[in-house]
Amino acid sequence: MSNCLLQACNIKKTYGTVVKTEVLKGIDLSIQQGEFASLIGYSGSGKTTLLNILGALDKPTEGEVKFNGQKISAMQDEELAYFRNSNLGFIFQFHHLLPDFSVLENVLIPTWIKDGTANKNRIERAKELLEMVGLKDRINNNANDISGGQQQRVAIARALINEPSLILADEPTGNLDSDTTEQVYALMRDLNEKLQTSFLIVTHNDHIAAKSDRVIEIKDGNITKDFMTKEKEEGEIWQDLAPCYCKLKDERESVL
Amino acid sequence: MKFELKLALRFLKAGKGQTLFIMLGIAIGVAVQIFLGTLITGLQEDLVNATVGKSPHIVLRSESTKITQREQDDDSLLSTEGNFIKDERSLSNWEPFLTYLDSQEQLTAVSPVVSGNAFLIKSGLRSPLVIRGIDSDRADDIYRFEEVTTSGSYQLSGNQSLIGSEIARTYALDIGDSFLIELAGGTSEIFIVSGIFDLGTQGINETWVFLDLIRAQRLLDFGGNISSIELQVSEVFKADQIANQLDRELIGADFTNWKDENASLLSALNSQSSSSYTIQFFVLMAITLGIASVLAVSVVQKQRQIGILKAMGTSSKSARNIFILQGAILGFLGAMLGVFLGFLLIQGFLFGTAAATGDPLFALNIRFNQTMVILLITTLASIISAVIPARNSAKLNPIDVMKG
Ligand SMILES: Nc1ncnc2c1ncn2[C@@H]1O[C@H](COP(=O)(O)OP(=O)(O)O)[C@@H](O)[C@H]1O
Ligand SMILES: [Mg+2]
Repeated sequence: MSNCLLQACNIKKTYGTVVKTEVLKGIDLSIQQGEFASLIGYSGSGKTTLLNILGALDKPTEGEVKFNGQKISAMQDEELAYFRNSNLGFIFQFHHLLPDFSVLENVLIPTWIKDGTANKNRIERAKELLEMVGLKDRINNNANDISGGQQQRVAIARALINEPSLILADEPTGNLDSDTTEQVYALMRDLNEKLQTSFLIVTHNDHIAAKSDRVIEIKDGNITKDFMTKEKEEGEIWQDLAPCYCKLKDERESVL
Repeated sequence: MKFELKLALRFLKAGKGQTLFIMLGIAIGVAVQIFLGTLITGLQEDLVNATVGKSPHIVLRSESTKITQREQDDDSLLSTEGNFIKDERSLSNWEPFLTYLDSQEQLTAVSPVVSGNAFLIKSGLRSPLVIRGIDSDRADDIYRFEEVTTSGSYQLSGNQSLIGSEIARTYALDIGDSFLIELAGGTSEIFIVSGIFDLGTQGINETWVFLDLIRAQRLLDFGGNISSIELQVSEVFKADQIANQLDRELIGADFTNWKDENASLLSALNSQSSSSYTIQFFVLMAITLGIASVLAVSVVQKQRQIGILKAMGTSSKSARNIFILQGAILGFLGAMLGVFLGFLLIQGFLFGTAAATGDPLFALNIRFNQTMVILLITTLASIISAVIPARNSAKLNPIDVMKG
């Protein structure tokens, strides 16, 4: 079994102080190195909330997130910012490029944040990534002057520039047409295989989900399904799978 | 900081209209400050120059019977004896003091004077006189004889005299004419008019007569003594400080300076300055509020961008600094532009007043120091005004601003 990259244990999230709504009710989840996983569920089921907590953008009401064994909740603002910058890539539904910058500059922003500026190597890398996402001839365009699908591909290149080990994508194709959706997924899948970057993607698209390594379904704040697509084809239902791979792995090791 | 600077510059560039607008606002404010400051300084200098330009700034007299210099390493100790015989404090052995004062950097004029009262007698008329025995060249450093001598020459020797224009008018005295000076004791001597001056003050023009120092010493029975040493300083407003400094050095000497004697003028100047500061303060307030509100709006406009930057790993501190830097850049560049505009305004003013009167009303010089202070204060105030917007930027939560 591959290495455990991210491990969330008993994540609970409650909104509101007077009327309390428990959105996440004790999620156990771990993501492996190099894994391409889909997170599915009805609207309002808590997918975004979970993703934000896993990406250290939000704090759980209860529970612990560990990244490479390091507790995220223990980090202070600057440490946390540095952690996000070097380990995580985000792709949002509304692409969120910075309109005041060019395509190439948008891809370089995570590098700027890290090093203050981008050296030649990084600029070359950004161009390579833009070539990979098929936007080589658009690098000097303003971020607002390209189509939605192109913007989302820029966002993917941007998420990859600092070579993070995990990319969290929240409905990255939510407002793209189906052809473009297909292309963007093919691209992410390709990059996942080439660079061994893990992906956790929130999606409504069953078709896409079926093509991932792993599907996680969340319902009413709990994980209701979590299975490997490979195994499912073999007829094995992973619905009752132990929620924490790492725990499973540890148990296995202790058994051995 | 490089990253923050890059973002700050880009944000300013992206909001071109806003940036130019607020910068122009700052520039106008600073231009007003520069113009006002220069105008008031010029006006005050003009006024002070009229008051003390052609008179001593500091006068040294004998306070006790003995003046000595504070102990020195070498044995060139200065010392003089006061002479109280005639109830007229006079200085003896004053030449070494002259040498000492000549060596002082801040002093631009050092002039020994013998003075006393007498009467002028001419054609049966008689009026009081103030006798000023001087060394023409040294006194010229103070009284600018070149400028004030309306006819004749100011070089004095023997029984030559330089008389006030009012005396000349009253007694119809012209160059080469003679008149009699009579002392209270009854001694009298004849003097020749070699020059007529107009020092711009009625009282002086009516009573003063400049005589050669040696001749005056003899006339007034001073022997080799003098009454006082008159001084001018390069920085007029430091006259009191310099006098104090000299006072500490020369024990037993009594110093008076123009500032003590013109307290009411100075308090008028001070209140003028403080009203100018008040105006400058409110201009600064307006600038600060302008920047603060523009940046506050900018933070709201850019909150999505800030959110995404934070999600990508920009710390709250960096998010704050981006806006602090914008404030600093706006303030500094605006102020620079303002200095330029202020300079144009002053040139315009000089040109305008010159067109009306043929000569500029008075000299206006932009002060380097004053300008630097305004630049610095404006930049600092701009940074301070950016603090609240910057704090809002630091507080932005990425998940709140990126929803939907
Ligand atoms: N900041 C918030 N305050 C209160 N309730 C929230 C907040 N964010 C999300 N929720 C609620 O939590 C639930 C889950 O939201 P979300 O995680 O966005 O769902 P999903 O992404 O699966 O559609 C929803 O019912 C939503 O209304
Ligand atoms: Mg969502």
